Amino acid sequence: MSLSKRCHGECMPQSKLPEPTSYERIVLKNFSEYYYMKVQLVFQGESVPLNAAQFKLLIVNALRTLHGEVGSSLPLDLLKYNEDTLCAILRISSRGLVKLWSALTLCGRYQHRECAFRVIQTSPFLLALAGNSRELDLG
Amino acid sequence: MYYYGIAGPALPISWHQVAAAITPRCATEAAWQEACSQDPPLPAIPGHSVRVFIQAERTSSAHFTGNMLRCLDSCPRHLLVCEKSNFKQEKSRHSAHVETHYFNCLVSVLLPECGPLPEKIKSTIEGFGSYFVIRNLSVHEFVTEDFRNTFIKQGSFYALSYQTRIDQDNTAALLPTGKLILSVDKDTYEELGLQGKPSLYSGKNAMRYTINIDLTDKALSADGKKFQRINWCLSEKKPLLFDFLLAWENTESSSILSYFSSYKIKSCPFTINTTVLRDLHCPVINSGRLHGKAEEACSSERVFEWFGAVSNNIDCTNQSSSFISTFCCPFPSTVVQQTSLCTITGFITPEKIQRLLQQLREYFIEPKLTTWVSLMVHGFADSPVSWGENEHGFCRGGENLYSFIIFNNEDYWVQMAVGTHDDCPP
Amino acid sequence: MAVFVDLNIMNTDVKKLQNIIEMAAHLGYSTVAINHVADSEKKKLEIAKPISVAELFPSLPIVQGKCKPIKILTRLTIIASDPSHCNVLRSTSPSTRWYDIVAVFPKTEKLFHAACTNIDVDLVCINVTEKHPFFIRKPPVNAAIERGIFFELIYTPAIKDSTIRRYTISNALNLMQFCKGKNIILSSGAERPLDMRGPYDVATLGLLFGLSEGTSKAALSTNCRAALLHGETRKTAFGIVYTEKKKFIEEESTEPVSKKAKTE
Repeated sequence: MSLSKRCHGECMPQSKLPEPTSYERIVLKNFSEYYYMKVQLVFQGESVPLNAAQFKLLIVNALRTLHGEVGSSLPLDLLKYNEDTLCAILRISSRGLVKLWSALTLCGRYQHRECAFRVIQTSPFLLALAGNSRELDLG
Repeated sequence: MYYYGIAGPALPISWHQVAAAITPRCATEAAWQEACSQDPPLPAIPGHSVRVFIQAERTSSAHFTGNMLRCLDSCPRHLLVCEKSNFKQEKSRHSAHVETHYFNCLVSVLLPECGPLPEKIKSTIEGFGSYFVIRNLSVHEFVTEDFRNTFIKQGSFYALSYQTRIDQDNTAALLPTGKLILSVDKDTYEELGLQGKPSLYSGKNAMRYTINIDLTDKALSADGKKFQRINWCLSEKKPLLFDFLLAWENTESSSILSYFSSYKIKSCPFTINTTVLRDLHCPVINSGRLHGKAEEACSSERVFEWFGAVSNNIDCTNQSSSFISTFCCPFPSTVVQQTSLCTITGFITPEKIQRLLQQLREYFIEPKLTTWVSLMVHGFADSPVSWGENEHGFCRGGENLYSFIIFNNEDYWVQMAVGTHDDCPP
Repeated sequence: MAVFVDLNIMNTDVKKLQNIIEMAAHLGYSTVAINHVADSEKKKLEIAKPISVAELFPSLPIVQGKCKPIKILTRLTIIASDPSHCNVLRSTSPSTRWYDIVAVFPKTEKLFHAACTNIDVDLVCINVTEKHPFFIRKPPVNAAIERGIFFELIYTPAIKDSTIRRYTISNALNLMQFCKGKNIILSSGAERPLDMRGPYDVATLGLLFGLSEGTSKAALSTNCRAALLHGETRKTAFGIVYTEKKKFIEEESTEPVSKKAKTE
């Protein structure tokens, strides 16, 4: 983590409200301990109903098959899940990003049904997942 | 890769000429000796141009070190810049941050302790008007003197190629400063014949080049050599066609429609989405404490993460023992009864964001329950620039975004975030 | 950095092929190649004409997020267990000219050596479904890299079976010791739409195979482009000169008649 500061400016008193702040700048490099992924599970034809717990279990199992016990114990959170579209937002510790992503890519089966994970977007910033210019559709 | 092109109208070319073209590089000995042994001249086919290929194509490959699988634990680079300052400060750079982030696809406004959107802010957003999408426009249209006089000299004109991907396709952007930026792959660059620079993020053997043309340049007069050259390259040698998003910050912005009437062009409205979030856990923020303070205020990067949670409508009330998610709102936090979130999607110019920012500052003229409001702006993932003329690329994601937190005493925080293929924000 | 390409879509029945190609377009691949496999072990080696792209789609599917339709190419893969199988690959042979790209799947070390050093092919397939039947050695690998020939790894078998997954990864890592991440192509070998994976997903999978971030993305884009150029040169006179029809005929050009561009 690198840190650089530049300070200048003076304070002007104002009634009641806190005093104006002075200038300060911080540059944080690779600060995020987490990585966020927006994924979707797809099936051929009719989709299989999954609740959030089953969805997470599927991912943890995929991690275990490819990366073993260590892989499956990576801190992983299912931040948001939509049962209708099978879309989810995942949070993984940033060291585990490649492990999770490759496990999702190689996951091809759920309860004897063929399936595939589609990674829609990834970012170290959760806010970045709120907007996707690649999905801007103007017809 | 060794690749020679002999362009232009076909002339009778002998094998010796072909060989002579290759010799300086001496690519594969055998290949050109075989060529030389074919003495009779190549049959010149009218209307054909001749290109010469050498078979030995060397591929780009980044430096490969022995330690395989070292990438498994790695995490792509990313940067977050946090600043705090006051709007009234003379040297405050808030407007520079907004104005130089040219291409924005989504803006959202977060107002804690607020039900329906205040009238002033609502009318500002509704007054955004529209932007334009044009199909199959040749880039040379931007270079013509007529265009430069009509648009570039009369206000800020924004254009960004639509549905082109910066890590795969050619991309073009016209900045309001009059700079035309083309980010093209190696093949196009070679055919185009305009001078550019190898992209910063395409490795040792560049596969992508950036061409920067200043359209406000005085030397670019209609009969000048420079203009002739650029115009010929873009209109005849290698015409580049794109779909473009267009916006012009001028009262007569609708004249875009009539100027480009020979093209398929349409005006697009902005998509506006307003929601009121109930009983939201909001972090406590102290404008003087960018780093936060234990038990008292949250740090800037935690707040930035929380903005993501709110924008994505993620539940922040989890237990640490929960199987599904352990995500929580940063500590300390308060529960806010109602919070207004408004999202605008489209091709949003910095001028519009500037107006919105001004409205948010004026929001605190009358006393409010909340001490802060927030403005979040997302850039285009496939824009060739992020801030100013900083080159922007797409690695696993093309994030370039910023957010403002506006406090009731005219203090503000700004957080600017970029991904792997990007320069440090200003 | 070039467009994403999948050079291996198995040639199955038309309906399935259409579905797979639609899926490829949906996932963001700009170019795909339909793979016609000629298995020399089954019967006498016969090379048929490739499937006609025009018959497959009346109008080509549009690549997602772009306004361009997908580009469909044809590819021939010869499974060779005997040197005589490669006779069809002589550059004078007309049968290979129907195809945009030619690959060979060598069954023995001798053939692997031949494929890398002197057979006129664009791709050499690496066995991913069993423990590699022969040792990969440095000289042929280097010769192949020198000649601009690419090694292909397919990922579909690894999705289906965890034992094969182990073979895929270990054979890939084995190859990577010699080629150091150069001249690798990752493709699907898909037989069903759900076998396909998105380009960024496959690039991440490349990291498991010992590729770096940059080479992994190149294995789906720039390397495929180079392989296609390599294939293009075979179709033309001795791979040296290539003529193309100009769209318009210039009258009297003021520009110099010959321009040469060079880059590496």
